[in-house]
Amino acid sequence: MSGKKPINDQMRNGRVMETSHGGTISTLTPEELIGPLNDVERKFAPKKLYVAGAAEYPLRTPRAAIVGSRKASPNGLKVARDIAKTLAKKGVTVVSGLAEGIDTAAHTTAIDEGGRTIAVLGTPLDQSYPSQNTRLQETIMRDHLVISQFAIGQPVLRQNFVIRNRTMALISNATIIAEAKDDSGSLHQGWEALRLGRPLFIWKSVLNDKGLKVPRKMLDYGALELSKPEEVLQYLPSTDRVLEIVQ
Amino acid sequence: MLLPRLEYGSLLSYSSRGNSAEIIHSQDIMRKLKADGFIQSPPVLMSQWVARTILENRRTLEFASFFQANTVLVPAPKSSLMREGSLWVPERLSSALVECGLGKQVAPMLKRVKAVPKAAWSSPEERPLPLEHFESMEVQKLLSDPTEILLVDDIVTRGSTLLGAASRLAEVFPKSRIRAFAAMRTVSNPIEFVKEYQPIKGDIIYRAMVGDTIRSP
Repeated sequence: MSGKKPINDQMRNGRVMETSHGGTISTLTPEELIGPLNDVERKFAPKKLYVAGAAEYPLRTPRAAIVGSRKASPNGLKVARDIAKTLAKKGVTVVSGLAEGIDTAAHTTAIDEGGRTIAVLGTPLDQSYPSQNTRLQETIMRDHLVISQFAIGQPVLRQNFVIRNRTMALISNATIIAEAKDDSGSLHQGWEALRLGRPLFIWKSVLNDKGLKVPRKMLDYGALELSKPEEVLQYLPSTDRVLEIVQ
Repeated sequence: MLLPRLEYGSLLSYSSRGNSAEIIHSQDIMRKLKADGFIQSPPVLMSQWVARTILENRRTLEFASFFQANTVLVPAPKSSLMREGSLWVPERLSSALVECGLGKQVAPMLKRVKAVPKAAWSSPEERPLPLEHFESMEVQKLLSDPTEILLVDDIVTRGSTLLGAASRLAEVFPKSRIRAFAAMRTVSNPIEFVKEYQPIKGDIIYRAMVGDTIRSP
C-alpha cells in the first residue's frame, strides 16, 4: 500500500471496489455505517464513506475513540495502551486515526488484546500516512475496519485531518484525549464530541499540565476528567441494537 | 431566593445502579435520550417519541395539565457552558412538544453563565446544590409575563437544577405559574426501579436547613 494502488473506472463509480490486494472497498453513507443521524450529527457528516475491512453494518458494538499527540511521551503512550486494553477487553471497539504516537498505540493494543479497532483516515484508502503505518493499515483493512471520507485519487490536504477528526467523533460513542498540546488536532475532535453531546474524556495528566489552557477550558464546556480507564465504560451503550420502550 | 417547592412531572425512569437486563436497558434508553438518538423501528428520535407519547396519552397522564395552550416551554440549561450549534436536548424536547401542540412556544430564556458539575454523573456529595444552579444561571427576558411556564429538562435526579432554574424564572416572572417536566427521572435505588415507562407527577422540595432538594417521588 506504499504509494498509490492501480485503480479503474469501476472502482471510481461502484459501491464496491476491489483493491490491488484482493480486498474490497465499499461505499456507505454514515447512516448505513452507524444508523440514523439527528440534525446536529448530520451538520458535518460526510455524504459518503469509503470503508475496507471485516465488519457488518450498521456497526453494533460500542465505540470509543482514543486520540492524542503524534509525538507522544512514554507516559502518554502508556496511558493510551492502558485505556485501549481496558476497552478492548470489555468488547468496546477502539477507534483512532492511524497517526503515529497515541493513535498507533491505541490500534496496536486493541489488536494485541484480541479486540476490535477502526482506523479513520485523513487520506484516501489507497494511501498511508505516516508511511511507517502501511503494514498496520493493511492489517486493520484485512481484519478490522478502515474508513475514509476521501475518494481514491483525492489530494491529501492538511485540513483533511481536521475534517477526519470530526468524522471520528461522529462514529464514536465517546472520545478520550490521552495526551495533547494546545494545538493538537485531537482537540478539534474534542470540541466536535462536545458539540454532538457525546462524552469527552481528558486524561488527568493533560488537565494537570499548567502549560495547557484548552483542555481545562473544555471542562467548562462539559468535558470530563479521566483518571481510571474503566470510568469510560458507564458512559457507553451496552449495545447499539434498536431499543424499544414498552408502555 | 429559592422556591420552597416545585411541581414536576416525568414520563420515564431509569436506575443508575444495578445490572439486571431491565436496568441496563433503561440506562441505554437514558443515553439515547441524552444524545437525542433514535429508538424503535422505523426509527424515531427520542425527543419526538416523548412528545408523541404524551400527546397520545394526555387523557390519562397526571401531568398532562402542565401542557396548556398558553404554556411557554423554557428549556433547562445544560450544566456546562455551551457553544452555538451544540446539541441541547431540553431545547429539542421543548420544540418537539410544541410541534405536537403541547404548549404555545419555546422560549430559551435561561442561560448557564458558569459551569457546574453534571448531576446525573456525579456522586451525591459532588452534585451541585440548587443555590449553585440559581447563581450560575441568568434569565434573558424575551417575553412579557407568561401566565404558564413549563421548565423542560431531559433528566431529573434530585431536582436541584429544576428548582434553581425555576427560582431564577420566578424572580423575573413573579406572577407566572411555574412547573417542570423532565422526560426521565433517576431512580437511585435499583430495588425501586419498576420499568422505564412510568409517568408520575410529584414535587421537588427545597430543604432550606441543609440547602439541598428532595424529590417526591
